[in-house]
Amino acid sequence: MSLRDDANGCYPPTEAMLDEPVDEQWQDNSKRRLRDVWKTPAGWRYWSAVNNSEVGKWYCLTAFFFMMCAGVLALAIRVQLAVPENDFLSAGRFNQFFTMHGSAMMFLFAVPLFEAISILILPGMLGARDMPFPRLSAFGFWCFVIGGVFVLGSVLFDAAPDSGWFMYPPLAIESEGIGSDIWLLGLSFIEIASIAAAVELIVGVLKCRPPGMRINLMPLYAWYVLVVGGMILFAFPPLIAGDLLFELQRSFDWPFFDPDRGGDPMLWQHLFWIFGHPEVYIIFLPSIAIAAMVVPTVARRPIVGYSWIVLSAVGTGFLSFGLWVHHMFTTGLPALSLGFFSAASEAVVIPTGIQLFAFVATLMVGRVTLNVPMLFIAGALAIFTAGGLTGVMLALAPFNWQVHDTYFIVAHLHYTLFGGMIFPVLAGIYYFYPVFTKKVLSPRLGKWSFWLLFTGFNITFLPMHLTGLLGMPRRVYTYQTGLGWDWLNLISTVGSFILAAGFLLFAWDLLRPKSREPDTARNPWNAGTLEWTHDVPEEAWGIRSIPYIRSRYPLWDQEKLVERIDAGRFYLADAAEGKRETLVTSVLDAKPIQCMRVTGPAWITLIAALFTGGAFIFPTFHIYTPAVICAVFAGACILYWLWTSTAPIPEQDRKPVGLGLSLPIYASGPESAGWWGVWITMLGDATAFISLVFGFFFYWTTKTDFPPVGSEHANLLFMLLGGAVLLGAWALTLYARDSNTKGHVARARKALVLGIIASFTGMALVIWSVRSTGMDPQAHVYPAIIHALLLWLTAHVAVGVIMQGYCLAGSLFGKLTPRYDADLQNICLFWHFLGFTIVVCVLVMGIFPRWL
Amino acid sequence: MTTKPSSTHKLLTAALVLPLSGCDGLQSVLQPAGKEAAEIATLFHVLLVGAVVLWILVNGIFFYVTRLNPRPLSRRAAETLIIGGGILFPTIVLGILLAWSMSLMSSQRELGNAPVSVSVTGEQWWWRVQYRREDGSLLASANELRLPAGERTEVTLTSNKVIHSFWVPALAGKMDMFPGRVTRLALQPETTGTYRGQCAEFCGTSHALMAFQVVVMEPNDFERWLDDQAAPAKEPEEALALEGRQVFLREGCGACNTVRGTPAAGTTGPDLTHVGGRTTLGAGILPTTPDAFTRWIQHTESIKPDVYMPSYEHLEQSVLEALGHYLKGLS
Amino acid sequence: MKKPSTHDQEEREFGEEVDSLWRIVFSPLVWVFHFLACYIVTAIICAKMPAGDTLAGLRWFILGITLTSLVGIAAIGWRSWKQWGFVDDGVKVQDLPTEEHRHEFLAHASFLLSIVSFIGVCYVAVPAIFLDSCR
Repeated sequence: MSLRDDANGCYPPTEAMLDEPVDEQWQDNSKRRLRDVWKTPAGWRYWSAVNNSEVGKWYCLTAFFFMMCAGVLALAIRVQLAVPENDFLSAGRFNQFFTMHGSAMMFLFAVPLFEAISILILPGMLGARDMPFPRLSAFGFWCFVIGGVFVLGSVLFDAAPDSGWFMYPPLAIESEGIGSDIWLLGLSFIEIASIAAAVELIVGVLKCRPPGMRINLMPLYAWYVLVVGGMILFAFPPLIAGDLLFELQRSFDWPFFDPDRGGDPMLWQHLFWIFGHPEVYIIFLPSIAIAAMVVPTVARRPIVGYSWIVLSAVGTGFLSFGLWVHHMFTTGLPALSLGFFSAASEAVVIPTGIQLFAFVATLMVGRVTLNVPMLFIAGALAIFTAGGLTGVMLALAPFNWQVHDTYFIVAHLHYTLFGGMIFPVLAGIYYFYPVFTKKVLSPRLGKWSFWLLFTGFNITFLPMHLTGLLGMPRRVYTYQTGLGWDWLNLISTVGSFILAAGFLLFAWDLLRPKSREPDTARNPWNAGTLEWTHDVPEEAWGIRSIPYIRSRYPLWDQEKLVERIDAGRFYLADAAEGKRETLVTSVLDAKPIQCMRVTGPAWITLIAALFTGGAFIFPTFHIYTPAVICAVFAGACILYWLWTSTAPIPEQDRKPVGLGLSLPIYASGPESAGWWGVWITMLGDATAFISLVFGFFFYWTTKTDFPPVGSEHANLLFMLLGGAVLLGAWALTLYARDSNTKGHVARARKALVLGIIASFTGMALVIWSVRSTGMDPQAHVYPAIIHALLLWLTAHVAVGVIMQGYCLAGSLFGKLTPRYDADLQNICLFWHFLGFTIVVCVLVMGIFPRWL
Repeated sequence: MTTKPSSTHKLLTAALVLPLSGCDGLQSVLQPAGKEAAEIATLFHVLLVGAVVLWILVNGIFFYVTRLNPRPLSRRAAETLIIGGGILFPTIVLGILLAWSMSLMSSQRELGNAPVSVSVTGEQWWWRVQYRREDGSLLASANELRLPAGERTEVTLTSNKVIHSFWVPALAGKMDMFPGRVTRLALQPETTGTYRGQCAEFCGTSHALMAFQVVVMEPNDFERWLDDQAAPAKEPEEALALEGRQVFLREGCGACNTVRGTPAAGTTGPDLTHVGGRTTLGAGILPTTPDAFTRWIQHTESIKPDVYMPSYEHLEQSVLEALGHYLKGLS
Repeated sequence: MKKPSTHDQEEREFGEEVDSLWRIVFSPLVWVFHFLACYIVTAIICAKMPAGDTLAGLRWFILGITLTSLVGIAAIGWRSWKQWGFVDDGVKVQDLPTEEHRHEFLAHASFLLSIVSFIGVCYVAVPAIFLDSCR
């Protein structure tokens, strides 16, 4: 297979080409142009920035702030439990605090922090100028801030959710006040932002690597991002589906979890933990990824067992989906079912072990220099192995029956999360800090905070193993004296304050002004990966020119790499048209295929996030009209943003990007990043849909009378007719795409108009087939789940219609032409998934209930 | 669902708290008194030793290569470590553990065969208990479970409103209780004595205050006890107790609670026919002294936040004392 | 605009590439299907079956599907082993910027994933050896 691409000119560059000196005059001019294009907005406009370095920084700091808040809640919990029969917190407030502590740590810190750190450093590692969809990152960030402040703020008004972070119905459904709604809507909002970030990160890893960085040369961090992004796509949607059902019951009394009307509280537990267990690994893997970057640098050797680590990342990703029932070992499921999950929970130890041993092996073959990041990695290992070993115990169902929901679990989960997340992340912050600031954090303070954290952590959580074995359940706001728990709890409380002191010291070190300290070198740890070519804070362009990569550790192996990058010898060293650009390359071999224009600063993302926030926040208070108005405005903002800045028709077809290579500026279909974005998003969307369908079959499995004998069904004729017409709308959309490609613009427009009509007609028929019968969603879970599917289908067809309309408008106003047809390609992809949804909906709503 | 901060709460409960001192281990996994719990304790001790050894080994290797090792080791040694430590060793050890736990699981799930079976229903925040004797007769009780030693008693579990979890660490692992679903468990206590159980699934504001006692008796004693329980409530003899009964009926306590042999036949709350003979009051949180009864009725809401039973703070002290005296007499 | 011949060639190359990227996840996918099949069939049988019946049929089903899955994983593993070609060139570290190394890296990763998936499938079958009722 030749790498020479005749259409695009010369690739790969030869050594002679790279050796050629760069004209000094041109260097200065191009540098100035590039700097202007990537300039961070100043003054109050700063907040309109969308560049990954700014958004990533805000994201990290916000997540860190939320963590500190959740930490304060934890301290209050520890004070309350310091002595038996304490009344520092009332029962109700205690319950709010532990619920918010868990929810905030999970949803406002652990998962978003992965995305924050990745947005911040991934483009650097990949020598990309920015993420592929910068405005999407900014939008995600603003959603996160609004949702996070809303959810966490509820604690201050004594209105926080108080049913535990797992929100088990019926307790959480019957909980009075708006706490449960805040949890459901606020966190769904953030979950959607998380999925958006995952989509972007996956596309970033697959399509925005530097030329030559084949898949076997990718930094391990990128592998982990790929795996974790994929896991988010399959883990979060079931929870979103669960949230939807839950909120439908809270708001409209559709009885999904009400056993009196055929519902089942167990369905929530399944949906929650199908999300909840992979989520643990979603938190763990990225932090291990940080360790995978730190360890080779410290050992001054390439990682040993690169393939092994890739195997363990991918393997863990898969196996982690087979563990969810180990949170439900005590729910009385058949022992055989528990056995499968017990087995999978043990199996997942193997890839995790391989991961750890690969690090130890790397350190073995290298010459280790112990610095602060390495100290934290060592602490992480000590803590994580302890958590892992208790994990092995807990995976054995009989032992789990004893200690489930006791302080033993509290100890175990904090050991895995501190060892598997907090300590590696702190190592990462010490390690990567110079990339963004050109300062190092103080090694002296670092050692102090390490030892405070490490001892404080162990004093807090080691005794909890025993507390749990002595019978203390979790989530109790008080306990009686005389059960042997008093001293253990007091010790834990003392430890928690030492731990808090460690965090405070770290926060001070992180935030204290450092302008008087001298700048460090660009690569102070002498690392081998590309992010260390960053030249901050002077330059916001990320990388001066995008290099041609031939090694896993280019800074170690490729001679003169940095000087050539700085001289602008490589790709995209100039911004002649004054546009922000980055390279798109092929998935496996990173062959350059497009010079992609990315978006610059904008307020529209912030405005769109505000309206989206309104659409989620108003329903919390059961105020629906403003919510609908907000949703409409949010949709309008997003459409405006898509229309004005995505896939704009370029002023020229292709442009020279340097080193004799000329690349197209516009791409559509599988070559473009947008198409991949849609594809990956729809994978997540389909997962949520399948979770709803799972709900239907779950009821059928566990209930003897589902659907109840003699219950009314949807009208089959209208259902089939409606389904057929909707499939017609799909076919028309595809026909429009093909006609457009062939240049028959008028025919394509007609097909789109007909497609819109067909969508409306088909949907009306399907709605009629359900609504014309006496099916009452409040009466029983069967009509309720049918209505939930109907709701899902209607919403998706509505989006499909908007897309058809968008392309029609694009065609009429010259944004969409036979040559520039990315939008139409992308909506066809959406319609493929919609076609699948239509078929399954017709089967489940119309045919299966009659047949079961 | 929050409660007003109760300044009296701490004082009240501290004064009344169940005298547990000297009973450390009453609720401990590590001091088993039943077959299930003993098997699991053995499993745990083996796991614990293994875990400590492995922890020291892994961290020892790490310490050695990062701090003590004078020179780099060969790549081959490193790869052997990954294959041996990462794949071979865990596969074998985990396989063995898995097989062991599966065989345990099978025996722990065996059905009970004692002549008496029990059903327990979780309420917010107490336990409704019902014994079913061999002759099919049913016997209502609450917040205390009596079991015959050496026999395997079948326990069926369900719940009224929200999910709870039934757990007596000294006897066996826990089992959740669901509204609209029945789960089961078999308990096989080996030694007589009193053990403490507690709700292990978060079930609302006073989840922490939902405990109970299990009294394991010799089978003969157990049978005798059941016969006593089947009888209607004792007629009060003292004047104070008689007055207490009048108050009980006058204040409408019977709308929620049953005292067999009197007009009180409510079923919302616990059956009180033999409440005075139980070891605890208020689901394992107070002793059954006349004084404790009095204070419980007077300050129910501050002792157990959000409880359904209202506080009878408006009653005069003397009236409350009579009530307490009457209830204590229902042994 | 690209010439048709180049385009065809690209398609073909792209096809090959996609083929081997997907092969990485084939073995874990077999594990997923095996796991789901065991779990779902057990759940349905235990929910719908009259109490007291033995699970002989289910256990045979699990044995059958386990053997099938193991054969499938072994086949994928064997194919990856050939593609990796460790015996031919002894390359364990595929860190060169060449087609060959990329090709062998994917095979190597796929081979290792086959090992883990194989162990995973064996583990998931273990409960069926010890448990023979729906309790």
